[in-house]
Amino acid sequence: MSLKGAIGAAAAGHRLRRIGRVVLVGSGKGGVGKSTVACSLALTLAETNLRTGLLDLDIHGASVPGYLGIGPPVVSGREGLMPKMRRRLKVMSVGFFTGDNPVPMRGGDKAEMISQLFGLTDWGDLDYLVVDLPPSMGDELLASIGLFGEKSILLLVTTPSPASVEVVSRMGRLARDEGVPILGTVVNMAYVKSGRTELFPFGRPSRGRLRRGIGTDLAWAVPLEPALSLRRVDEVLGTGTDFARVFYRIAASVEESGRHASRTRKGDSRPVRERGPS
Amino acid sequence: MHELSLAQNIVDSVLAEANAKGATRVLELRIEVGELMQIDRRALRFGLKLLMTGPLLEGARLRVNLKRASFRCRRCGAEWDMAEARNQLARVAPSLLVQEPDSRELPLHFFPYLYPAFIRCPKCGSSDASAIEGKDLELTKLAMETRP
Repeated sequence: MSLKGAIGAAAAGHRLRRIGRVVLVGSGKGGVGKSTVACSLALTLAETNLRTGLLDLDIHGASVPGYLGIGPPVVSGREGLMPKMRRRLKVMSVGFFTGDNPVPMRGGDKAEMISQLFGLTDWGDLDYLVVDLPPSMGDELLASIGLFGEKSILLLVTTPSPASVEVVSRMGRLARDEGVPILGTVVNMAYVKSGRTELFPFGRPSRGRLRRGIGTDLAWAVPLEPALSLRRVDEVLGTGTDFARVFYRIAASVEESGRHASRTRKGDSRPVRERGPS
Repeated sequence: MHELSLAQNIVDSVLAEANAKGATRVLELRIEVGELMQIDRRALRFGLKLLMTGPLLEGARLRVNLKRASFRCRRCGAEWDMAEARNQLARVAPSLLVQEPDSRELPLHFFPYLYPAFIRCPKCGSSDASAIEGKDLELTKLAMETRP
């Protein structure tokens, strides 16, 4: 009997009992800004006095350490590996252990790596764990669904581009097949402000298109935020811009969904409407 | 420190297995520790002995053996052992070492599956290396008494 899966599962099971809800942030498509969205949502939840963790599962391209300006070394304590802190947010990333080394890990090993990274981290008691998924519908997504089970809810991220919406729609269908409730869709880089004018350089996906493809009419339009190329995500969130405000609304929906889930049976999540794409 | 956590998780897994099979007593446990994990077997054994209490586990025989690690390059087919891997691991950046109270440990101590980030084929330099064996914990024997 191999203990590898059993040990990862035993450790993960202990941790998961102390976590209220797991928000999986994914898209299936690369380059849509999942990590920025995951960092921003997690920081906003933490800022509103909710005990929040952020787990970066992008094994091949961990970018959370860079976005938040934190890195190795990690310290091991009595109850496991100590997450790094950014403001009130607890953060763990594969990148804290690999630095700038490439990680050519093959599929089968990823599920065990994910289970161990989550299970060996001393998260303590959390209201929310936000998980930054890599750009695929492969091992990392399926392993996460298996690991976090009924505690998980999916936040999809797309850009306005039809190609991106199409891929994200497929991920939405996969989530429904696997019984993972979908919180809604973030349309990232939806517009850019020039003075008081909103410009839509990548087009505007209609709410109907998102509803048909993804099966939820809850969507948030997140603007392009040029300051992100110069400053850390937590610094940009502190500026009171449209970018920061929309994440308060997403965080409110996460909370509402958590309250709703505790009142209803699994899978019966009815998202509230939100301003967003036309 | 990590060895004690591992011991706890092993005991939890064994108890789950024993209960699932309706065991009344565990007679013997044999565990193989992959060399790549760089686990202190004495510390692991100490932790296991400490935690093997209660009617199911108390008095069970315990063996903790080492499983040698070996590697193969998927590109050129070269094979090598842990001695070569250690040479490469000695070059891991000090900032990536995990700080324990009395030591600093390689990331592989906690996450053996991260070896592709640190170990290359010594012959052709490819990163497409495979740890053939010696990267896992295995329960090679679990002898139990069950209800008649």
